Amino acid sequence: MTIADLWDQRISAFLLSPSQFLATTSTESFLAELLHELRNDKTNDQLKVTKTLLVSVLLEHPTILCPSASVGEETALELLSVFSHTPQKSIVLKCNVMLAITNVIICTSCLNTHTKTAEDWLDLLFQMIQDINDYRCGLSQQPIRATACDCLREMETCSPGLLSQKLEALYLLKQQETTVLHQSYCLLYTLGLKNAIRILTNQKDVTDLEFKSILGGNEGFAWKSNQLELTSLPINMLVQVPRLTQGLDCKDLKSIMSLLLEESYLLMPISQSALLRELVEVVAMVPGLSRTLFKSQLLRLFGTADVSLMHATLFMKDTFTDSLFTTEDENFLLKRLVGMAQHPLLRITEKLFYMECILHFPENRPISSSGEESLPVLVTPRLAAFLHPTVFNDSATMLCRLNLLCLVHLEANEGEADKGIGFLFDHIMALLKIVDNDGSREVVVTSLRALFIFLMHFSGMEELSEKLIDKLCDMYSRHSRLAPNLIGLADRIQEHPRPSLVGQVAKRLTIHNLSWHLKVLKRVAKEGQITQRNTIYLLLNVLINSNLCERGNWQVGNAVLAVYRNLLDHPSIDQVFIELADLLQYISIQYDDTDIKDHARIYYTLLTNLSWEKLTGVLAKRLDGGRAKEPAQSSSESVEATGEVRNWLEVYQGQFQTPGFGSEVTLRYNLTHAKETDPLFDKVFTICLHFEPKDSNYAKVTDIHVPCVFRDRKSPEVKVKLKPFQPYPTSLCVSAMFTTQDGRSWHSRLPDVSVSFPEIFLPLPLPPNSSRECREQVFERIWEATASGNSDKSAISLFCFKPEDKSLADLIKTHFQGYLITDQQSERSWKVLLFLPPKCHILLKITQAEDAAQVSIATDNRELLPFLNSNRWLNRCFAGVHLHRSF
Amino acid sequence: MSIRALWVVSHEKGESGKVRFSRRFPTVEFRAKSLAGTQYVAVPEDRVIPQLLLTELGLVDPDKPYVEVRDDCARQHRSPAVELRLDGPGGRTLWPVLTVTQGVLILACLPLVEAPPEPRPPLPSLASVSQGLALLLGLQDFLCGPGGKPEPDVLASRLAALPAVLLQVCPLGRPLDTPPPAGSVPAAVAPSPGGAQKQPAWKAGVHRGRAVVSVALTEKVRSMQYGKSSQQDIWDVYGMVMCKCEVEGVLPNVIVTLTLPHNGSPLQDILVHPCVTSLDASLLTACSVDENDGSAFSGPYKFPFSPPLELFRLCSYTSQVPVPPILGSYKLKAEENHLKVNVVLKLHESVKNSFEYCNAHIPFFNQNLMGNVEVKVSSGQLEVSKEKNLLVWVLGQKFPKSREATLEGTVHFSGTVAGPTDPLCSGLTAYVKLYFRVPDLTLSGCCVDQHSVQVYSSAKPRIVTTRELVSSEYYIWNSTGDAPVSSGLMVL
Repeated sequence: MTIADLWDQRISAFLLSPSQFLATTSTESFLAELLHELRNDKTNDQLKVTKTLLVSVLLEHPTILCPSASVGEETALELLSVFSHTPQKSIVLKCNVMLAITNVIICTSCLNTHTKTAEDWLDLLFQMIQDINDYRCGLSQQPIRATACDCLREMETCSPGLLSQKLEALYLLKQQETTVLHQSYCLLYTLGLKNAIRILTNQKDVTDLEFKSILGGNEGFAWKSNQLELTSLPINMLVQVPRLTQGLDCKDLKSIMSLLLEESYLLMPISQSALLRELVEVVAMVPGLSRTLFKSQLLRLFGTADVSLMHATLFMKDTFTDSLFTTEDENFLLKRLVGMAQHPLLRITEKLFYMECILHFPENRPISSSGEESLPVLVTPRLAAFLHPTVFNDSATMLCRLNLLCLVHLEANEGEADKGIGFLFDHIMALLKIVDNDGSREVVVTSLRALFIFLMHFSGMEELSEKLIDKLCDMYSRHSRLAPNLIGLADRIQEHPRPSLVGQVAKRLTIHNLSWHLKVLKRVAKEGQITQRNTIYLLLNVLINSNLCERGNWQVGNAVLAVYRNLLDHPSIDQVFIELADLLQYISIQYDDTDIKDHARIYYTLLTNLSWEKLTGVLAKRLDGGRAKEPAQSSSESVEATGEVRNWLEVYQGQFQTPGFGSEVTLRYNLTHAKETDPLFDKVFTICLHFEPKDSNYAKVTDIHVPCVFRDRKSPEVKVKLKPFQPYPTSLCVSAMFTTQDGRSWHSRLPDVSVSFPEIFLPLPLPPNSSRECREQVFERIWEATASGNSDKSAISLFCFKPEDKSLADLIKTHFQGYLITDQQSERSWKVLLFLPPKCHILLKITQAEDAAQVSIATDNRELLPFLNSNRWLNRCFAGVHLHRSF
Repeated sequence: MSIRALWVVSHEKGESGKVRFSRRFPTVEFRAKSLAGTQYVAVPEDRVIPQLLLTELGLVDPDKPYVEVRDDCARQHRSPAVELRLDGPGGRTLWPVLTVTQGVLILACLPLVEAPPEPRPPLPSLASVSQGLALLLGLQDFLCGPGGKPEPDVLASRLAALPAVLLQVCPLGRPLDTPPPAGSVPAAVAPSPGGAQKQPAWKAGVHRGRAVVSVALTEKVRSMQYGKSSQQDIWDVYGMVMCKCEVEGVLPNVIVTLTLPHNGSPLQDILVHPCVTSLDASLLTACSVDENDGSAFSGPYKFPFSPPLELFRLCSYTSQVPVPPILGSYKLKAEENHLKVNVVLKLHESVKNSFEYCNAHIPFFNQNLMGNVEVKVSSGQLEVSKEKNLLVWVLGQKFPKSREATLEGTVHFSGTVAGPTDPLCSGLTAYVKLYFRVPDLTLSGCCVDQHSVQVYSSAKPRIVTTRELVSSEYYIWNSTGDAPVSSGLMVL
């Protein structure tokens, strides 16, 4: 393999996943290698290609390779030297190096902090663009000049106002350039002009002289002076457009603008649209300029086939409304949009975009200005009829049209709407018919999406939704494979299930494809409003009249039991109590699989022995256990997916956006009998433990259900989940309700449970396989934030002590094993982080000095310090401690 | 007005997606970060992009009948922009990702949102969206070419050329131009040095040599014919004028004029190329979504422009013509194990009876393969496709003198092998599809007179004009079965 191939491979690997690539090598060494190879003086064609490839890494990922401004500056310097050593004829390489330098300088903030390198680079770029019409360097160097213009334009964008004192020079260059590059000069000048004027709008009482001096500026780069925020939004995003003072003399500016508009025709359409947007902003900001400047361009723009030019026209419409566009213009433009949204020669993506433009059409007199999808009043049913969805549309177009038409008919007056909705309904039925004829997976998904859109808009029209649901049920009876799709749909329209989709489906089940049906029935059993008689009769029929029990298939059995599991929870279970019990008993005797039999027997026992409240309690517990894992899983994925060089503190803090993250402490207890009790209580069943916190520092604790406690068996473990608002020590009152063997229910008070301070400690909640580097970084960042004293809640404390009989290392091991961030035995220093829900931290830095150990403590909640100190918890850890200093 | 990243992803059947090309624009990312503040979502690494994209586009796990993240009915893929869910449902999202799919290729880009991230701004309020869209569409033309399906090696070489192309058209994330369509790059023209007149950015140089102007007018006709009084037949026509102008000068002026015959219905929905310098307001007034009041402008349509070097679409239009060129009737009857077929095609008297080709395809879906075919045609020849699921009626260059041709007979489906299926065409829902081309004809009557093309240039150019009519989506549905409704217009 040649060196070039090797680089090729390495760079592909890097570009595919920088984080994985850098896990095997360090950023510094990779950057050094890249730069070394780039400095290689040998020139051949192969090397040129390789070098371009190497530059692309810096071009695309400057912040990964240059994590700090200083590395950025050094790298930019290196690249500058590479640039000057690259031969004239390696045009592509030179251009790429130029882009890389610009990217490095901007992204590592060298530009914003006004470093020498940034300044030199700007000067060099400006010098390059002086060579108008290639007089000096010749035609072959034109791409370099074009790139220089683009680099300057990007620097002006990222540091708005940088060119604001150079406008005259830029204007002259733009005027004199007559090759194709005049586009670049024109865009550069216009951007500079717009930013300069925007800066001026921040100033009160601008004089004619100041205004003039902008256009005539021919000085250096405007570092820092009066610059705009990088985050300045385009004017259509602002509540109020910034404006210059009235009454300024705009004659010069007006002629400049006219000329720019006149020449806009010479630009590429996409650049033309960018230019137009800048000019619109300028006119909007300068009261002395008339909107009618654009009049001469309007017809050309109205007729354009180019999507970016049409979009710029709509921007103009949005900005100037009736001061430039008459009512006829407005009607005309909207009709054009409708025409374009269905034009046979435009592409699907363009048409979808135009439909979005119709939905958000900037009317001269908008009724509401909210960003929601409320339809412009000009979009009438008549007009929209041209966008009626058809079965021949691709799925995106069809759904987009359907949504638009639904909105139109929601707004329309009654007679018209009924007719329109009728047509949409027919369309949905036509789609379902295709599904019924064995439509492909995509057809099924699209049709159900269409149905969902329809139901979301017209769920109030019961007659129609009933018909649709009838059709779905009918379809399901023929195509049981649709079960998951239908269940998904039912879940989504949960708020509008009238009449319930799933209930209707259940009525029509037959024995074929039992496993799908069981899935549907399981879902049906979750519907509180549906009586479950049909389900139970069907299952009874199936089990008694088929050979299902003899076949004893474990999976089928489980699916049947899953239905029961949901049925047991059902609020109207008493109506079918006997049938359900019969069924369970039948399975527990007849089903030819021991596991299924056992399960059925348990359900039977639960059903026949417990009240419904207790039953749901027992079942709810199991359900929670099943769901608890989800958030943990997703958060660890999120950490993995982000890649790049990360700010671990951000990652760590980001986790708290997941509701409930890190908010609980789980305490484990064993539930045992008191020493001496009546033998009646030797076996107690269905115990419900109730907890009552004694203070308001904790959230209400949910009841815990335990199936049984037998004196002669292992005592069951009980997990109490505490949710602190303030992580202070507390105690809980506990009471229990339970049943004895004779069927009587009892209530009893148990001893209070006290929760000590250390019991609330948790280790730093980071995903399980987080690196040590990550844990350390989070520790240090929290420490810095706490030590900076910015928050009035944070505190720092320090104490020293002499470890007596045990060594410090052992003490730490005993008390802080699970909370250690680092363990540098050799340096005799340890870092410990105690996390207390909901989001408090106690950080300890423990060092072994010559004759004493020193513990620095930082916490972001100073209220916690007393518990550390006055409760003598730390003292107890490090027996015989003397508090040295605290502030 | 910038894009943060650009991807070309391929997904071959049975394989997971693969990033074939990607490009990030860090300075735009720098701006995105500062605009979005705490709500900033970084662009994920390339290795996770294909899966995220394919999930949103419904292309993952093709073998599984239902996957919730893919098939959720509440996730509506009905906008040109999708959102990528980086951490699964409920997690961080990357929006708006514009996508264009062609064959196995997915082109995607992420425009910069120059707006507060919450609440999510409407797509049309973002300048970067149409720019990203234009870039993607240009990229599609560049990679796929006019045929739409490049050979793997051709595609590979075009992908390899992408970095150089982007260096010109989008060096720092801000689109300056669209990539040149594949195959349309004009013969090497030396970049012209600066002269007295400014060179248009869309014209790399000037033409030298013989002056030729060719103007080709193509009209396409679509139709849905049902043969029922309850369902009205529909048809429409759309046309486009393609130009190639080899004329000297930096900004030569050319005027092409389209004319309609007396009483011709006006050209509607006219869209013009950006090189058209000015337009008369009356040209644009006719619109297909408007009622025609008969008083509308009906030409002549003048298009003054300064041509680029390459072939380009000067303008396009739609038109409503009073009759379809071929009126058809299709009757299908099911009898025991065979179908009785009857097709009648009538050529309208106003249409020139001189085709380059005219074929009627009669496919049979959801049936076993054809066995015995006893069908007679009054004109032309009948062929049975070798797949045994399609009858091809080759009508040739001319209809008979009566301008009417019939096909009649029975088709047996004796085989045991099942033919192709189509969910639309079940039972007696079936169609005949026509394919034809008539040179030197337009249905709207629109034409470009050779003498009306004006070129203001030193040398007198040779002027070539052509016109043709081509069928597109021309269906005749079986009148004895249910035909799918194709347009809302019809029902109004």
